[in-house]
Amino acid sequence: MFRNYLTLMLLLAVSAFAATANADVVVVVSSRSPIKSLTAEQTAKIFLGKVATFPDGRMALPIDLPEGSGLRDEFYTRVAHKNSSQLTAYWAKIIFTGDGRPPKLLPDNAAVIKAVARNPNAIGYIDKAAVNRSVRVVLKP
Amino acid sequence: MPKRILLAVPLLLVAGISVAAEQKAESTAALAELPMFHFGGFGSLGVSHSNLNQGDYVLDSSMPKGVGRSSDWWAGNNSRAAAHVTADFTPEITAILQIDTEYRTDGSYAPEVEWLNVKYALTPNAYIRIGRIALPTFMDSEYHDVGYSYVWVNPPVDLYHQLSIPGSDGIDVTYRSVIGEAGNTFKANYGTNKLERPNSETTSKDMWGLFDTFEYGPATFHISYQHRKTSTLSYLTGTSGEWTQNSDLSVGASYDPGEWFVISEWMQRRSTTKIGAMYVSGGYRIDKFTPYLLYSQNSPGSFYAYSTPPTASARVRANRSQSTISLGVRWDFMRNYDFKLQYDQVKLSDDSNGYLVNVPAGVNLYGNKFHVISAVVDFVF
Repeated sequence: MFRNYLTLMLLLAVSAFAATANADVVVVVSSRSPIKSLTAEQTAKIFLGKVATFPDGRMALPIDLPEGSGLRDEFYTRVAHKNSSQLTAYWAKIIFTGDGRPPKLLPDNAAVIKAVARNPNAIGYIDKAAVNRSVRVVLKP
Repeated sequence: MPKRILLAVPLLLVAGISVAAEQKAESTAALAELPMFHFGGFGSLGVSHSNLNQGDYVLDSSMPKGVGRSSDWWAGNNSRAAAHVTADFTPEITAILQIDTEYRTDGSYAPEVEWLNVKYALTPNAYIRIGRIALPTFMDSEYHDVGYSYVWVNPPVDLYHQLSIPGSDGIDVTYRSVIGEAGNTFKANYGTNKLERPNSETTSKDMWGLFDTFEYGPATFHISYQHRKTSTLSYLTGTSGEWTQNSDLSVGASYDPGEWFVISEWMQRRSTTKIGAMYVSGGYRIDKFTPYLLYSQNSPGSFYAYSTPPTASARVRANRSQSTISLGVRWDFMRNYDFKLQYDQVKLSDDSNGYLVNVPAGVNLYGNKFHVISAVVDFVF
């Protein structure tokens, strides 16, 4: 019993490690979107609500993964140079002065891909391994 | 009464708009997926201690007492909470209501409407708001009570004590633009304010301001200019002072590449006297810990050469000059919570009792040094 438990914990630990180690985040838009590429700075501005539009003036609809997601932490660390508490502190400033709200949340990669593929205004970040033909990678941070 | 009418306007708008929102929801599928109402809040629970027993250390002039003479240990400087609701009626129309509780002028923790306004987006990057609105006088003034949003226990007291008007009942307009890789946010506002102090009430009218924030990579620059006419009603004499002109100019800059930060602000107020204040601060983030240093000071209120020579007591009242050296650490010990510990050494200038209140008549603490130690837990939800 104890050994089974130990094996399970070890497997969980290894898979958790593997998940973080392999998580290579990429920024995607719908393959129907005219946006071909974005800089980290442009992407950060969209996700931090500093601008509501893509550089070409089209409305941007950023989609977030939930707090605690490894991909989310990696995305914001690389693109906006903010860890999760810095990001929470940032949004506290915006929300509690009524200047805006954080992006819409979807539970996982699959949901983000589906939403991004459907909406040419949407932009999300997903695991590189999950990229398919319905979306286009616009930034590899 | 005018204030009540002004606050009723957003409420009526909200009522009318919610009906319109139903009909418009279909055409705005993108945002309609976000829930219409978003609830949240924030708070701080803390205590501070001062080793000075002849005066009270306070954060702003609305507080009737603080830590020091009135009590050795005191939670009133460091404890507050607020509940917030944002309502997105349509992609263009949003309303917010924020109710906060903190130590008040009357000695209570009575809840008050901190912000209540309706926002209308003219374009995706420009909006107009009507109601009670936060003023971006200094870099952190719109959220000066949201402890979780900054590194210190409080925004630097020597400068933020000058934030006599945190908000405005009126109208403002915001315009965001992107210039190459840089971002710019411009705000302009017009409104009124009523501020209670322990023995008086100051009314500000014809209040207008221009505020600009420019961000380039990790660098942020802020400049603001505000003008207003103020009159103070003394509760003791029952008489109102004349309307005087006030103008505030402030400039700030910060650099925050992620692992460390530096920030500095400077301000100057011109009313019957000229007052200045500044601070400079920096810190380094080591995993969940952010140790920081802070130096701040304000300058004595100097009278203009052309004005009537002030009385001796006016001269003393105008001089709030002090400086502070602080060191502290913020610890992000769990999601949405932080713990902060800060040590301040406050030095009163040679001819001033600084920002101290409740100093007994006839006592002068000129040139004194004292320390304040604060511990606080901040949270957001």
